[in-house]
Amino acid sequence: MTTINISNATKRYGTETALDGLDLSVRRGEIYGFLGPNGAGKSTTINLILDFIRPTAGEVSVFGLDAREDTLEIRTRTGILPEGVETYDRLTGRKHVEFAIESKGADDDPDELLERVGIADSADKKAGGYSKGMTQRLMFATALVGEPDLLILDEPSTGLDPNGAREMREIIREENARGATVFFSSHILGQVEAICDRVGILRKGELVAEDTVDGLRDSMPEQTRLRVQVDRIPEDSSAALEAIESVDGVSEVSADGTTLVVTCEDRAKTTVLRTIEEQGVSIEDFATDESSLEDLFMAYTADDRTEVTQ
Amino acid sequence: MSAITVAKKDFADAARSRKLMGLTAVFALFTLGGAFLASWAGDLFAELEGEGAESTLDLVFALQTPAGYLVPIIALVIGYAAIAGERESGSLKFLLGLPHTRRDVVIGKILGRSAVVAVSILVGFLVGLIGLFVFVGSVSIVDYLLFTVVTILFGFVYVCIAVGLSSMTGSTTRAAAGAFGLIVFFWFIWSFLAMGLLYLVEGSLWMDDHPDWYVSLLSLSPDAAYGSAIAAVFGEGQFTIATAYGVENPPLLAEPWFGFVVLAVWALVPLGIGLWQFGRADL
Repeated sequence: MTTINISNATKRYGTETALDGLDLSVRRGEIYGFLGPNGAGKSTTINLILDFIRPTAGEVSVFGLDAREDTLEIRTRTGILPEGVETYDRLTGRKHVEFAIESKGADDDPDELLERVGIADSADKKAGGYSKGMTQRLMFATALVGEPDLLILDEPSTGLDPNGAREMREIIREENARGATVFFSSHILGQVEAICDRVGILRKGELVAEDTVDGLRDSMPEQTRLRVQVDRIPEDSSAALEAIESVDGVSEVSADGTTLVVTCEDRAKTTVLRTIEEQGVSIEDFATDESSLEDLFMAYTADDRTEVTQ
Repeated sequence: MSAITVAKKDFADAARSRKLMGLTAVFALFTLGGAFLASWAGDLFAELEGEGAESTLDLVFALQTPAGYLVPIIALVIGYAAIAGERESGSLKFLLGLPHTRRDVVIGKILGRSAVVAVSILVGFLVGLIGLFVFVGSVSIVDYLLFTVVTILFGFVYVCIAVGLSSMTGSTTRAAAGAFGLIVFFWFIWSFLAMGLLYLVEGSLWMDDHPDWYVSLLSLSPDAAYGSAIAAVFGEGQFTIATAYGVENPPLLAEPWFGFVVLAVWALVPLGIGLWQFGRADL
């Protein structure tokens, strides 16, 4: 069962392509983390799902309904926390929640929702005086109205301190346990890693990776970076480097003076060290560092500064 | 139903605007001034002609001028940012994230802002009414209420224009420029163009009988239509363009009742274009 299904969606603004033939599906009941640097097309994708914008080509459906034709029904069953959303400055926090409840024909208790997101104390204050974090909490409360089947959260931790972000993740887990599907975007891996069943990484309008968090980890060969300090540079240094490079499992070797950096699979470590010693030098020191999921994310999304921002 | 929900929220939000309070105060001052002038002029005529206090119609005539100028300003100021402002700030995403169609949002905005403008008019006219009681002594409440209703309708037309403009663009600057441009257009450019046309066709600006097309053209602005509508309600010609030009048998377009048709067109056309534009826009 898929809750969100995007097939071959393209969105162009003039000559700029914000999304390029995106295929993406979110299964019912899962927490899907939508990752990518700013400007990769995350908000464009979410705006397509919500019918805020229309695709240049391709199909978007939610609950098996057409995102354009049945947008009202979709939004009745969905709770939304849009990115960069603003409140009505002259209305109180409670008024916002009451408005969402009335709009959805739900029967929630506004105070309970405000309590849940931790701003019950400010319920009667005008939202214009709220801090960024409080605004984000208020908008989150309105997204929770009517026990939605789907929660769409665009950069939900914006403006929240680490504690607030943790509280929000807690509520997201509770909502998911109740049965809600959660689709949430972030440009920070840590936000997503802790909570998501599956992760999609978007780069320049294209999905470059999609898997479970563990799957993404497994998909990386167990690469290790060996940093080796030797006592001297061997006479025939290029032949020495070639010998190390030719070891099975080594992908990269670089030398800087008497420091060697060797990227290799875990299993090749011992062979590499032995091969270095065979070059007639002695090892004075060595260190290893495991690559993390963060490295993978960086590798996928690096060099993204010239992105199309919308 | 959804539009009503939006309208209620919008009313609660917009009614707390300081701009509205300021404009309402100015409007009340002007109706008070109008009432005072009406009674002063009435006394003057009474001395000259030996007649008593004038009819409520004369008073309405005195109040029509401040209302004719200020109601459009109030409605445009209250309405121009209705949609564009929310698009600019991002609160529209909150509104449309909830199950409201774009049409519901526009209709709700028109209802909400119209209610706000109606309250402003009611406050202004209530002050005017008190002024009339104080300065003149007696007023026909029924006539005064009729006048108020037609003025609220006039305000509604300008709210439709303002919200229509606001839905056509994502920029409040452009919406404001459009609203300001319209005011200038209706107040100055319209009659100026008509005069230019008159000169081109007739070769002169001064004549005893103005041609029907000229009187018709001048009657087609919303402000002239407001006068026509008041004339239709009271069965008195003195508010129309035709009377101002001494036309005894006005052409259809300058007939008092036709003022309502003109008002309806001025409400619906910008609104229609706005709805169409907003419906297909990328937000």
